[in-house]
Formats: sequence, C-alpha cells, structure tokens
Amino acid sequence: MKLLLIAITVLVTGAVYPADVPPVGSAGPDFSAPDTNGKTHSLSQYKGKYVVLEWFNPECPFVKKHYGSDNMQKLQQEYTGKGVVWLTIDSNAPGTEGNITPDQAQKIMASWKTKQTALLLDPESKVARSYGAKNTPNMVVINPEGKIVYEGAIDSKASPNPADIPSSTNYVKAALDESLAGKSVSNPTTKPYGCSVKYK
Amino acid sequence: MRRAVKSRIPGPIRFSSFHNVWEHLCVAEIDFPKRLVHCREVPRVLPKRMKSAVRLAAHAIVCLSIFALASQGQSQTYEGKQLVKAELLADTNAVVPSKPFTVGVLLRMAPSWHTYWKFSGDAGLPTQIKWNLPAGWKAGEIRWPIPLKTNDPGDIQTYGYQDEVLLMQELTPPGQIGNPSVTLSAEVNWLVCEKICIPGSANLRIELPTSTTNEPRNIDLFARYRRLLPQNFSSAKAATATWNHAGSDLRLKVVSSTLSNYPTIDFYPLPQGNTVVGHPSVESRTANEVILKIPIESPDKNLSAMPGLVVFSQQPNGNDRAAWELGPPIVAPAKVSVPARGIFTFLFFGFVGGFILNLMPCVLPVISLKIFGFIQQAGQSRQKILRSGLAFTSGIFAWFITLALLLIALKAAGRDVTWGGFQFTNAYFVLGLSVVVLVFALNLFGVFEISLPQSMTRGLLASSDRKDNLGSFFQGVFATVLATPCTAPFLGTAVGFAFTQSPAVILSMFLAIAAGMSAPYFLLSAQPAWLRFLPSSGPWMLHVKQFMGFLLLATLLFLLYVLGVQRGLDGAIWASCFLLVIAIACWMKGAFIVPTASVAKRMTSVVLMLALVIASGVYFIGDKFESAKIDIGQAQMAGDWQPFTPERLQAGRDQGRAVFIDFTAAWCLTCKFNEKSVLESAAVREAFQRHGVVKLKADWTNGDPVITKLLQQFGRPGVPLYVLYPGKSEEPIVFPELLTKSILLDKLETISTTVASQ
Repeated sequence: MKLLLIAITVLVTGAVYPADVPPVGSAGPDFSAPDTNGKTHSLSQYKGKYVVLEWFNPECPFVKKHYGSDNMQKLQQEYTGKGVVWLTIDSNAPGTEGNITPDQAQKIMASWKTKQTALLLDPESKVARSYGAKNTPNMVVINPEGKIVYEGAIDSKASPNPADIPSSTNYVKAALDESLAGKSVSNPTTKPYGCSVKYK
Repeated sequence: MRRAVKSRIPGPIRFSSFHNVWEHLCVAEIDFPKRLVHCREVPRVLPKRMKSAVRLAAHAIVCLSIFALASQGQSQTYEGKQLVKAELLADTNAVVPSKPFTVGVLLRMAPSWHTYWKFSGDAGLPTQIKWNLPAGWKAGEIRWPIPLKTNDPGDIQTYGYQDEVLLMQELTPPGQIGNPSVTLSAEVNWLVCEKICIPGSANLRIELPTSTTNEPRNIDLFARYRRLLPQNFSSAKAATATWNHAGSDLRLKVVSSTLSNYPTIDFYPLPQGNTVVGHPSVESRTANEVILKIPIESPDKNLSAMPGLVVFSQQPNGNDRAAWELGPPIVAPAKVSVPARGIFTFLFFGFVGGFILNLMPCVLPVISLKIFGFIQQAGQSRQKILRSGLAFTSGIFAWFITLALLLIALKAAGRDVTWGGFQFTNAYFVLGLSVVVLVFALNLFGVFEISLPQSMTRGLLASSDRKDNLGSFFQGVFATVLATPCTAPFLGTAVGFAFTQSPAVILSMFLAIAAGMSAPYFLLSAQPAWLRFLPSSGPWMLHVKQFMGFLLLATLLFLLYVLGVQRGLDGAIWASCFLLVIAIACWMKGAFIVPTASVAKRMTSVVLMLALVIASGVYFIGDKFESAKIDIGQAQMAGDWQPFTPERLQAGRDQGRAVFIDFTAAWCLTCKFNEKSVLESAAVREAFQRHGVVKLKADWTNGDPVITKLLQQFGRPGVPLYVLYPGKSEEPIVFPELLTKSILLDKLETISTTVASQ
C-alpha cells in the first residue's frame, strides 16, 4: 500500500527525489555514465577493485577548497596509484551552477591538474539520486565486492577554508587505508558537508 | 537619537528586506540633516574596501555605526553585488563593570540569499563568531533565533535565515575596567547561498564607553529577535516530551494544550557529534498531541534522544513561529561510547557480586541453615545431595530470572529503572537505606530477632526436615529474596551497566549474579568431600555476626555523610534523630514483643512502638528534614574548579580552550578516590594549569537533570565519568572510571598543540 502511494505520488508529481542513502554495508547501486570523452563507465565493470565516488561542482567553494589546495589531486594520485578507481561525478542539472559540458570539464581537469580515473557527467542526476548524494563534495568508498564501506564527508572540518585541511582528519584516506590493510573502517558514516547537489 | 534608531527598523515583527532597510536609512538621513553632515565627514577614515561599496551603502554604514555607538559594519560583495552586510550592535549605550549585556551580530542578506542556523541541514555551514575580548571578559553562547526551513530540489533541506538575522550573545565585563572605553571585536565567518554559495567573513568591532550606569539601545531590534528565540522546554508549562525507538529511528511524542493553537508543527534537529539525521516528519497529529519521526542515518544504536527545537506556527516558516528547545544546548557530546569495560568483565563482576551475596547479613540466616543442611547431608548418597543442591541452585536462578523479566518489562514500559546511582540522588532513598542498614545492624548485634512469618518458617523447617527437592528449591528462592535489598551497593556498577543495555544483556547479567550466588552450593553438592574445608560451627559464628554489625554501622556513617551533603548538617542531624527513634523501636521489639510476654503487654508495646516511629517520622522527617535544603550550585568548589553548566562548557570551547569535566557525587567513593589521588595531585594540577584547561565539576549528588542528560549521552548510568574536550571541534575524550595519573597526563600532552594563544 505504502509503495503504491509512493508510486502514485511519483507519477503525479513527475518528480523522482533521491532515494534514501543506501546504508554502509549494502551493495552500492550500479550505474553507468559517460566520462568527458563520451566513454561509459559503470560500477559493475570495476568489480574486484576499490572504487571512490566523489561528487563534484567546480563552482562550489567547498570543492574549490580541496582542489585549490591540491588536497584532492594528491588523494586521487595516491590511491589511483594503488589500484583504486576514482570516479568524480558532476550531477548538477543543466541551467544550475556547476553543470558542465564535456569540453568545460576537460578544461577544468587540465587546468586543475586533476588525477581521477574519470570525471563522469550525470546531468540528469541519476547517479546522485541512487546514492542519495546531497552535497559536493560527497564521498563514497566501495569495496571489491561492490559493498559500500564509507560514505560521508571528505574530512572532519566542515569549512570552506583550505587552512583547515592540515589539522583535519581525512575520513576517505582513513577508510581507504584501513580497507586496503584488510581492516574494517572505524568511521564508516559521517555527515557530508558542502554545497548542495543542484537537482532539477 | 531614539527616533533615528527606531526609524531604521521597519515593522515590529517582519523580517525587513534588504531594500526596505535602505529606504528607511534614507528617511533617517532626510529626517536628520545635521547627522547627515556628520556622516559625510567620516568616510575618509574608512578602510579602503569600504570605498568600493556602493556609495549609498557606505553612507548607510557610517550613519548606522554612529547611531549604534561607534560600531563598524562590513559588507561582502560578489561580482559587484552586495550579498551580506555584517554589523556588531549592543543593547546598551555603555559598559558597566560586571554587568552583563547583549551584543548581536546583525547579518543582512540580499533578497533570496540566506545564511545558516547552528545546524545547517543537508548543505551549508553555520555562521561562526570568534570573539577577541580584553582580559577578564566572558562571552556566552550564541542565541540562535528559530530558523526558516528551506526545501531545495532533490529533497535537500536546510535551516537558515533570509533577509536578516541577529545572532545575540551575552557578554560579561570584569569587575574593574581601567579604560574610559572598551573595544570589543569579533571575527565572523559565514556561508551565504542562493543558487550558489559564497563564503564571507568580517572583522567587526564595537567601541563602548565605560560608565557606572547605562541605558538600553537598539531596543526594537533586540526585542524582535528575542521574541524569535526558542524557549527552554523545561520552562514550557504543562507539556511533556517522550522519546522512543522505532527501529533505527527516533520517535518524539509531545503532548501539550499549547499545540492546539498551531496548525504547523515541526522538529528542527540538532544532531551531536557524528550522528547523521534524516528529515524529521510528523507521523500523527491530534489537537494536543504530535508524534514526530526523526530518522537516524548513522549507526548510533544507543541514541536515546536528540536535542532540537519543537517549532510551531500558523503556517510553515511563519513569522509567528515559536519553539521549545529540547536537550542540553551543548555542541558535541560525541558518539555514545560503550563503557570501556567489555560486557564479559561486567558479567564477571556480576558473578563475583553474586558470590559475595552469600556473605551478606540479609542471607546469613538462610546460609547457616543451608550449610547446616550440607553438614547433615555429608553422610548421604552423593546423588541425593547433588539433586538437592541442583534444586537449591535452580531456586536461586528462578528468582533472578523473575526479577530480570520484571525489570525488562518495566524498562520496556518506559520507566526509568536503575539501581544505585539514580536512587542515590534522592535523599529519601538514602534515608530509607539508612534505616534498613541500622535495623540490620541492630539485628546482628542481637538487639532483636527477626521472626519470619509463621507459614514461611514452617515451610522452611518442613523442607529442611524432609529434605525434598521442592523444599530445596524454595530455600533457594527464599535466600535470594532475602539477598535482594543487599545487592544495591555491591552490584550497582554491574547492574547499572546492564540497565542501559538490551533485554538480553540484562537477563545475562542476572544469570551471572545467580550463578555467582549458587556456585558454592553447587560445588559443595557436587563435591561433598569439600565440605571438610568448611569450618565447623561454634561461637565464632556469633562473633562474625556481631562484627558484621559494625561494618553496617560504618556503611551508615557513609550514608549520613551523603545526607549531609544533600541536606546540610541540619538535615543529617534530623535524620539521625529519626534513626535514634528507630533504634529505640528495635530495642522495644527485642525487649517487650517476645512470645513470653502477655498479649496485652505485646499489644501495648506494638502500639507504643508504632506511635513513636510515626510521630518522630512526621516531625523529624516530614517537617525538619524536608525543609533542610542546601543549594548545591552554591556549594563550595575547592581550588580552581567551577560548577558545571552547559554555558561554561560552551564558553570554554568557544575560546578554544580545552575543558575537563569531573562528573562526581558525594556518595560516590570511586569519585572521591580519583579526585584525591589523581585530579588533585600536584602533577595533574600543574598540567591542567600549563595547558589552560577549564576545570568543571558536575556534581550529581542531587541528580541534576542537566547532568543526567549529559551522562546518558555518554552512555553512562551514573558517576564517575571523566571527559576532556580537547579543542573546539574535536571529539571529547572519555577516561576510564578508575582514573590514573599517567592516562590523564598522556592525554593532556596531546592537546597542547590545540590550545589557543589565549
């Protein structure tokens, strides 16, 4: 009955809001989205590897905090070097701040010297909805079995100030280090901070 | 002057829009041409960034700053557009030494832009205020007006302010101020968002003259925002709030007749630490009752409640909105930590505690009976002895299981049942315990004998005669019933822990106690040969019994000390008077109410005894003891300790200082021991001082509800608890109950880097 009501509501309003955040320990919802070269990436194709999802918005001061300080690039370089797949996702709807074309995305990647595996474009916010992503940056770590082992903030200090980075705990780094060492993640859920993902 | 200030504030309640403010400012200038001239002279001395602002805006700021007694405003511009104008205002025209006053950071946002509440919601960031105050000044916590709730596409909910907000804080000047005027400055950081978000900051200053008297200023503005502050829930009349679990979610039920006046009710959560909260929603609503569902998305299994605002208004985000604030206004009491000791340690304590129960005076009569039984059985067949032992053991288990189920049922019914701690905070519980202890002591001394009810005695005698298994079973039950009043002091920690746990843990705790208590009987019945290790009975048993009486008197001294702390010397003396009468009554029971006395004599004695006890109870306890009260808050604090208040904790953290809280109580011996041997030791005192740690003492002797809540947030049923908040946004460190110098000093050294320059 409840499901039926939800279905009716969705049909009538035509709106699909983000599903609830899939909990840590559950399988990361599969998705496929094109990168800046039009090549499609899906979660299932990376089974057997650790995958990091990073929600992105080049206009957002919180994203700029981590790219402007080279913090994000260093993380991307370190972990892609260790065989981790790093997917940056822009889920901002057309006409909103942070929505980018493939060309713009390539320019940003070049000038910011980003080091991710791929930057995926998700202008219909499908991937963001399936993960209940509400913020940029929002971070998700998925293990080789396809299960979510971490979701939440990038680090412990919710601020747009790059000067806070050295004194904060990087949760993504901690989650990856613990996972790669075969340990369980000690801090698997945190509250993400940042701008909102711009849904339509 | 007064008119100028007034005209600047449009409308008594409505949020003024950005443009309205400008219009009124112009009016102000036209109305007061002399001031306009004055205003025009000032921009020359303004910092450069001011000149880049719109000319009118610059004027307005300067005029405002004059009207607001030399405060300075600053504005944030983005792509040529002014987004936020920040200004520091006071509700007074002068500073009077040691007289608190309120200052407010006034943020004016461009239309459709907003800044955030202290919990920003799914996105955004709360505004931060860092004070730079002269020495001796104190700043209270930010008083946040009830925010507006915004829904953005994608079900993104945020809490913030549009158009304008005043963030108020109480400042307390020191007792002496040397200068004719003081400058107070604050660094304010905010995030302002519309479709996009832009961080902004300003260094705001306000200069106020010092004086012996002062007058209110900015009256309308401050009054308008004071009306928008949430009320403390505890001060709400005839309202109740109850928390429940619904799976991983929390459910809050609020009942109050006030609710019937408001069609819209909502809950704005204030999650603590790493808790991730979903979107609260109204689950059901009647005129006087609302049930709100608060989804918890992080794995905080022990979360029992969440601070937040119950907001009610005529329509969502209405300007008439009012709110009750639930829970302590404390920033991050962090994730609920399971007590350092594992569950098996506690079960072991339960076992040991159960074993010790055998030595309790309450059980002694039954024990001697049973041991006597064993000695008699020594010659019988082993199987028979074992069966009888097993029956006795299962009697003990049966009673404890019944007790556990009863408590689980009570707990499920939502009653706050806890052993030890909670009752100790109640002076009447302590008094009652004193009476019980005294009566037992007198009994052990032989002043009177406890005669069991006839039927029970008969049953016991019959069973010990027949030695059948059913008899043994009931003996087991009986021994445990007698032991129950003795468990409180001995098993407090273990059972207290169990009560905060799931029914399964409670049950296993009680099973552990039962196992401990029955272990000696079980072993002896399985290996009757070991009976020879038991000493033979003799006069030594009487001596041991009497000696136990003195131990109980020592316990009584301790209880009187607790009463003294709770009710002062007077209270302890009145309680002692009552105890003296109880002692006399016991003596009368032993001396006159004996089977050899005539029925008439016995009846007279009983009546006299009861009259004495009731009369003295009414006079000493109902009147004198009841009215003997001391204010714990005013109680002396040794050394540099300050009484704990959430405000002090917040103030210390806001200043970037580490805060250490000692949760203690007069009746807590472990607390006293830790204080003496660790907290007051020279090395620790020196370390506290060197790191500028704020030392707060949370005295739970009388069960202060604010402290109770905080204890619950740390997952503790009672004291002791030692917590160190290292820095502003760091997680608090919880220390083990048995504190050692080395643990404390180690942790203090790690915070040295985060101590602020202050």
